[in-house]
Amino acid sequence: MIVLAHGVGSRTDLPIPIGFALYGAGAAILASFAVLLLFWRTPHLGGADSGRPLPAGLQRLLDGAGVRRGLQAVALLVAAFVVAAALAGPEETSRNLGPWVLFVTFWVGLVPLSLLLGPVWRVVNPLRLLHRLLRPLGPEAPGAARLPALGLWPAAGALTVFVWLELVYPDRSEPVTVAVFLLGYAAVQLALAQWFGEGWFASGDGFEAYSTLIARLSPWGRRGDGRLVLRNPLANAMATPAQPGLAALVMVLLGSTAFDGLTRTVWWQTGPGSANDWFSGTVGLLLSIALVAALYVLGTRLSGRLARQEQAIQPGRYAATVIPIALGYTVAHYFSLLMLDGQTTWILLSNPFGADGVDLFGTYGNRVDLTAVSADLIALVQVGAIITGHVVGVILAHERALLSARRARASDQLPLVLVMVVFTLGGLGLLFGF
Amino acid sequence: MTARPARLARTLAASALALALAGCAGTDAPPSPAASSPSSGSTSSSTSGSAADAGPASAEPTQGSLRAELDVVAGPVPQQQDGRLSVRAGDSVTLVLNSEIDDELHVHGYDLTADLQAGQTTELTFDATIPGVFEVELHDAGTVLLSLQVS
Repeated sequence: MIVLAHGVGSRTDLPIPIGFALYGAGAAILASFAVLLLFWRTPHLGGADSGRPLPAGLQRLLDGAGVRRGLQAVALLVAAFVVAAALAGPEETSRNLGPWVLFVTFWVGLVPLSLLLGPVWRVVNPLRLLHRLLRPLGPEAPGAARLPALGLWPAAGALTVFVWLELVYPDRSEPVTVAVFLLGYAAVQLALAQWFGEGWFASGDGFEAYSTLIARLSPWGRRGDGRLVLRNPLANAMATPAQPGLAALVMVLLGSTAFDGLTRTVWWQTGPGSANDWFSGTVGLLLSIALVAALYVLGTRLSGRLARQEQAIQPGRYAATVIPIALGYTVAHYFSLLMLDGQTTWILLSNPFGADGVDLFGTYGNRVDLTAVSADLIALVQVGAIITGHVVGVILAHERALLSARRARASDQLPLVLVMVVFTLGGLGLLFGF
Repeated sequence: MTARPARLARTLAASALALALAGCAGTDAPPSPAASSPSSGSTSSSTSGSAADAGPASAEPTQGSLRAELDVVAGPVPQQQDGRLSVRAGDSVTLVLNSEIDDELHVHGYDLTADLQAGQTTELTFDATIPGVFEVELHDAGTVLLSLQVS
């Protein structure tokens, strides 16, 4: 049994050098005040209608039903293949394709893919294809009217379940766990989509919501009139539609990644998490999410109070400004996993069912090269991601404050900025290992 | 099944002491058996073994070596021993395992295994060439004996 912190993997990162941690912390604090005091004083980034439209022909192709159904069919075949390999392949995690595809290639790979190409999982989501086939069998989506009020809360719930599986469930890396999870997840999602209609997937499929959220920092957007546009990723993030549960979704991502970092520290391993059981893990995960959420709500409400804005809407209003910070955490914690242990997927793909003598792509005999990315580069990427996420987050919050009140004072933004600084210093602390 | 935490801490600390005394002796002259050394009372479970630090008389910086002695015992409470053993990349690491149970030791990342047999001492020596933090684990029991930090 492999009992590493996250789903699968053979290694974890070294603590970042103390100098990196300190310079990073200093840079984050300095950048925060530079943005508050020196940056633009009127809204500067484009809104939901900004951007350079793509050629109409290209949009027709990308939005066309044929392309989408085709891609969804391919994704469905791949998913079915992974489930089959998880069930019928070698029983050992290190030789079974399933866990590596789910926890590394798919879950972590979805981040760079969405950042570069936009909301890819919405386009290729195989559950949408299955839903189209199953839809005629049931009543006509009786719950569809309730979906807008639920917003992204169901997705936040679905992702909490997944991160619990990934980070806490003791048998998480067993191939059979992966197969049961994928089948169970599909069944539950399809049943709910039957009730709520196709709109469910944007609201309740955690992976689709995750991909769409990350894609908010990609250059690909959709204008108010439906045109696909290329635009400044910062403007794209500002155009994130306000939905119930958006803040919750971001907090689940931020809190769970923080918890993943926490479980790698000596403090956790020898202290609260020394039992390494599901109880300490569950409590730790939920407390981590609750802690970042409480800090965030406190910061946004205090900022709203200073600016004499209605406090209740503040957490939802600023939710999109924390996406870059959550993304920074994600990159910092999973970059090396994708680059190093992610090689396993491509090795095992040569012989997914562990048959004797099979080596489809000639990679089966390869070993994972754990030195492919140097420890220095990993540390640089980690600190760089955290600091970049922080700076972008502070810029977005600054713009959001100016949009909310044209004459917003810099001092009004201070509580939220301080909370962001806390997130960033906490993130660096976790990388340093305290 | 578990290793006794206190014993691990003592032996690792003692190994560090022995290593420091041995200087840059390298892999050919392993330090005296650490288990018989008196306890230093230290609760630190990590240590560093680098000849560059420990050996002033070294003509050219040779690789350091580290020898850690561990007890592997069965226990009713699966309380995990999670000491962290720090070495420099390139160091030679020797794990000396006094096992009271049959199990298989697995060093993750390096993907090394050693069969442990009840009542026997097993040694596993390897060069720590891959940077990172790696778990050293008992396969059957699923217990993490320690984390090896190679930097």
